[in-house]
Parts: sequence; C-alpha cells; structure tokens
Amino acid sequence: MSKVNGKEVPRGLELGLAGCHVCEKVSPVAEVHCPRCGTHLHMRKPDSITRTLALLIAAAVMYVPANLLPILTSRELGISTESTIIAGMVEFWNTGAYPIALVIFTASILIPLLKIVALLWLCAAAKGLVPHSAKLLGKVYWVTELLGRWSMVDIFVVAILVAMVQLGNYMVITPGSGALAFAGVVMLTMFAAMSFDPKLLWDQLEREEEMSTAQPLPESE
Amino acid sequence: MRTRLSILTWPEPKGGPHRAICHYCDTVHVADPIAEGSRANCVLCGATLFQNRPASLVRVTSFSLTALLLMIVVHTAPFVDMDAAGLRTELTLPGAARALIDEGTPLVGLGVALFTIITPLILAGGLVYVCAPLIFGRLAPGAMFVTRWMSRSEPWNMIEVFLLGVLVSLLKLGKVADLHFGIGFWAFAGLMVCMAAAVAAIDKRELWDRLEVAKGQ
Repeated sequence: MSKVNGKEVPRGLELGLAGCHVCEKVSPVAEVHCPRCGTHLHMRKPDSITRTLALLIAAAVMYVPANLLPILTSRELGISTESTIIAGMVEFWNTGAYPIALVIFTASILIPLLKIVALLWLCAAAKGLVPHSAKLLGKVYWVTELLGRWSMVDIFVVAILVAMVQLGNYMVITPGSGALAFAGVVMLTMFAAMSFDPKLLWDQLEREEEMSTAQPLPESE
Repeated sequence: MRTRLSILTWPEPKGGPHRAICHYCDTVHVADPIAEGSRANCVLCGATLFQNRPASLVRVTSFSLTALLLMIVVHTAPFVDMDAAGLRTELTLPGAARALIDEGTPLVGLGVALFTIITPLILAGGLVYVCAPLIFGRLAPGAMFVTRWMSRSEPWNMIEVFLLGVLVSLLKLGKVADLHFGIGFWAFAGLMVCMAAAVAAIDKRELWDRLEVAKGQ
C-alpha cells in the first residue's frame, strides 16, 4: 500500500491485478491472457532489468564504432574525405552554423549517451543500489522514452545526402560503415527503454519503506 | 440503436468495476467516466492515466484519411530539386531509403524505409480501417488484430525526425547548390502534422473500449 494524503491506495501487485500493455484493461494476472485483446498479461515486464542491462551493454559497445567509423564518405573531384558524426558537427560549428551544430550534437551525441546513463541509473535505483525518488525517476524514464527517436536524425541526413549528391565526377557521397553502428545504437537504446519497467522503482521504494518501519525485534530475556 | 452510437461519447463496456492501473507506479484506480476534453491523473505519481478527447473518432478518421492522401503526394512528387555542377538531382522519400540500399548499407536503408514509409502507412491506414466503421458502431474484420499492430509500431514512426533530417541536409547542401522546394516537401510537412494529430486524437483506452462495445453489439 502506498499513502496519498494519509489515505492508503492499493497497488496492482497487492491485488493481483495487471493492466494490459496493449489495451489497458485491468484483469487478474492469474487469467494469463487479456480477456479483451489476448495479449499476455504480466505483473512486471519479464526480466526487465536483465534485458535492459543486456541491451544497454550492447548499445554502449556499438557506441564506439558508431563514433569512430565514418558515417559517410564524400568523393569530390577524385579526392575522398571520410567524416564521422563528430567531424560533421565540428564542420557545421566552424562554418558558423551554430544552431545546426547544436542540434546534431544533442541528437547524435548527447541523447544516446544520456539515455544509456539514465537507464543504467534507473536499473541501479530499481535494484536499490542508489537512493532515489520514484516520482522523479518516473519522469526521467518518460523523457528517455520520448527523446530516443530523435537520435535517428543523423541516419536520415546520411540517407538524404547519399540520395541527392550523385553528381558523377564532380561529387559523390556514399554511406559509411559507422551509419549501421549508429542506427544500431539508437535502436538498441529504444529497445532498452521499452524493456525497462518503471513500476520496479516503486516496488523498491515500498521495500525500503517496509524496512524502515519494521518493528525492531523484541529483546530476548 | 446502432446509429446513435456515434453521437454517444466514450461508451462504457459491460461489466465492471472498470479500473485503471498507472503504468509508472502500479496504483489501482476506479476508472469513472470523465468529461470530454479532460484527463485523469494518477493520485500517487501524477502521470496521465487516460484522456477523453473531444469528437475522437471523427477526428482520427479525418486526420488519418488526410495523411493517407498526402502520402500519395509525398511518394510521387519530389521533395527538393538540386542544381549543382550542371546536373539536376531530386529527392523523394523512397529515393532516400533506396540510395542507402543501393550504396552498400542495405540494413540501414531498410530501417529508413521502415521508419518513414512502412510504419506511417500501417498507422494511418490502420486508424482509418478501424475508426471509420466505429463511427457507425461497427467492428471492421480483424480490427483488434490491426489495433494491436498499430500500438506495436507506434514508437517506430519517425516522420517528424525525418523532416528535421531534411532541414539539416538542406542547410548542409544550400551552400554548394541551388535548392528548390517541391510539392512533396510541403505535403510531407502536412503529413507530419496530420499523423501527430491523428495519433493524439484518441486515447488508447477509449479506442479499445469502443472496440469492445462494438464487438458486443
């Protein structure tokens, strides 16, 4: 039970009730499948923390080639230049296009990194390894889910440049191997965010509250 | 009775009590009907439980139908023409995905096609297919199956991200080439607005309640 203004409010876990992830109908978890839409019911997302961590580790590993390998190669009058995500951003900055440089920096470098860090923090908090406010971290999770897709912008830029800059001998742009790694990072962090269950944050909070309010054992005589 | 269903706002399915569980903190609420235009929040953590959107079905249907029509324009008319080095190239939506597939990164190209073409099509087409018959209280064959797939594909719709990508690339190319916006670009901007409006026009809970009621007719 959680308390709101001194009044106790029940949680699904205590009543054995689960909200369907697809159609939101609330049914006893013992029914296994949602009576309305047939989706498998579960109290918490299965192996939430293990899955999230596995996907995060994969994303962190992919983050290295995503930034080191060229995301595109441009061949201008026979001279090839490979450019990474960071190089593309620096180029915008140097030519005075500060707003675009900031957009690229935010979407391609900051958001994936912040997502990985935020989800690691959420997993640690759900395990009780760091002190946390479940309400605040719930908002962090919401933002993480919301922003994830915007990192894909660099992949779209590559696609558009490759499609448009096909000017024969003058200038040709081809995609680099970094593009696959970067798309991988974005998708892996999106899957990681989807597999994390924010209810675990409140479960942990409840466990901590129980521990602190538990009566000390009576002294034996 | 069937014709009056469309006028009725958010019907309540049989049985009950109807409950809502907060996705964030697992608090169980009694889901009483709320007025059109208002939202229900979780008493513990404040997250939105559900919203009652005004004229939901009519709005979803019209916005997603418009989105479908705009998709035809987006796929046939060029986004941007570029004049450089005496050559003219043009960008189309399928052209961007195909360029990546042709130039040696087929996986990324398929991803781009999935996020900008296939998912928006599933969403807009699915919403029309499911919601238009619901206006008359009817259930389209396989409507529940389609709705499940729509909620699965929703996070992968990246229309607005692609539009940002178009703007960034144009700023990159604007210095070296002459660019002309085509009909496709404006249609795409409209498509983005319509998709966002269509998805936001009905709460998931309301859609499923309506499906359940229509099924029981």
